[in-house]
Amino acid sequence: MKRLSRGLRMLAHCAPIENAKAPDRRMRTALSRAKRIEGFAAQQSFDRAVAKLVQATPVSSEIEEWFANEKMAEGAKRNWRKTAFHPAILAIGIALAVIAVVAWIKFDEQMHAFPGTATAKKLLNVAAMTRPSEFEPVQTEAGTLNDLFFMKYRLEHYDVPPEFSRQRTIGVRVFDDDEAGQVAQISLAEKRIQLFLFPARRDSKTGKPEEFQGWRYIEQEGWTGAVQVRKGVLFMAAVRGPKKDLAPYLSKPKE
Amino acid sequence: MTGEAGKAQDIFQDTLREAAFLAAKGEPPPDRTWFFREARWRCLDVVAQGVQPEQGTNESTEVSPHAPEQIEQLEPEQLAIWISAAPEPQRSALALYYLDEFNYREMMSMLGLKLNELSRAIASGRREFQTWLNATVPAAAPE
Repeated sequence: MKRLSRGLRMLAHCAPIENAKAPDRRMRTALSRAKRIEGFAAQQSFDRAVAKLVQATPVSSEIEEWFANEKMAEGAKRNWRKTAFHPAILAIGIALAVIAVVAWIKFDEQMHAFPGTATAKKLLNVAAMTRPSEFEPVQTEAGTLNDLFFMKYRLEHYDVPPEFSRQRTIGVRVFDDDEAGQVAQISLAEKRIQLFLFPARRDSKTGKPEEFQGWRYIEQEGWTGAVQVRKGVLFMAAVRGPKKDLAPYLSKPKE
Repeated sequence: MTGEAGKAQDIFQDTLREAAFLAAKGEPPPDRTWFFREARWRCLDVVAQGVQPEQGTNESTEVSPHAPEQIEQLEPEQLAIWISAAPEPQRSALALYYLDEFNYREMMSMLGLKLNELSRAIASGRREFQTWLNATVPAAAPE
């Protein structure tokens, strides 16, 4: 057995007495190699003879009695309820559920994502942090502000959509954002809604604004935004509250 | 392992009682090796309090091709006595190995041995048994 590697030699020393009982691949490899080595056949004959003698060892009736109730020692069989409530199974189940929920949220986000989602979310944060004193007081209908944006700031197509054009404003401000570019922010009297107008993201290859159809909703830290794109400008109406607070404005017929 | 049926029975019953206690707590022994492992530790505890065998260096001889014929002439009790006189963990390793019910992984788990230790215990056990066999039942002269 000297020609076997040390690992295989160790395994061959513990070779199962019946070859069919080899528990794993390493042992099967050790057995197949050891069979070519002189001395292994003698070892196996030796082991079989000893095992036969062990099997022939008489068991006294006294000891046989100990095992009369052998079934008693079997553990209680677990039913599915016990198995399901085992801490390890429970922990794995909870972990899988959390993973599934997170995956679903991510999938849902991807499904509802649109070009400019990240910027719109950032502006929702801006809406949450802007104080009323930061706005320049302008009391008019939101739909008339496009002239102001064009004349004063040279912002073309910064038009408030018809759904919000009749709303009364209480203030306006225009600021530069690293990501969004020039942003027009309008504060409305009703429900303290804020409107944002900012340039749509442009395709890196064609240079054309990336557009999408209809209204898209985003939510962030208690704020909800409804976003639309027209003529290369994104419009977002933001409100502190759930989606249903904005829905009535968006379902209004266009005037 | 204990050399006394009374002690063995106590250990047997204590092991079963422990298994029943665990089962009642909803954590039944995971497999049959648990019983062997538990019983062995109890045996070692009991044996440690009794008379200890002398530690000696046993002579060893390579396994002979004639060993099966020599072994056939033995009584099972002779083998049992020889194994029970071996030092731990060789005694447990040989007992489990020749029961031929466990694979090497199960034996390593039950005895708390590494592969090289288990291998050494079994291989040296074989050689020492062959030496004893040669002295007890001399092989027939080759024709």
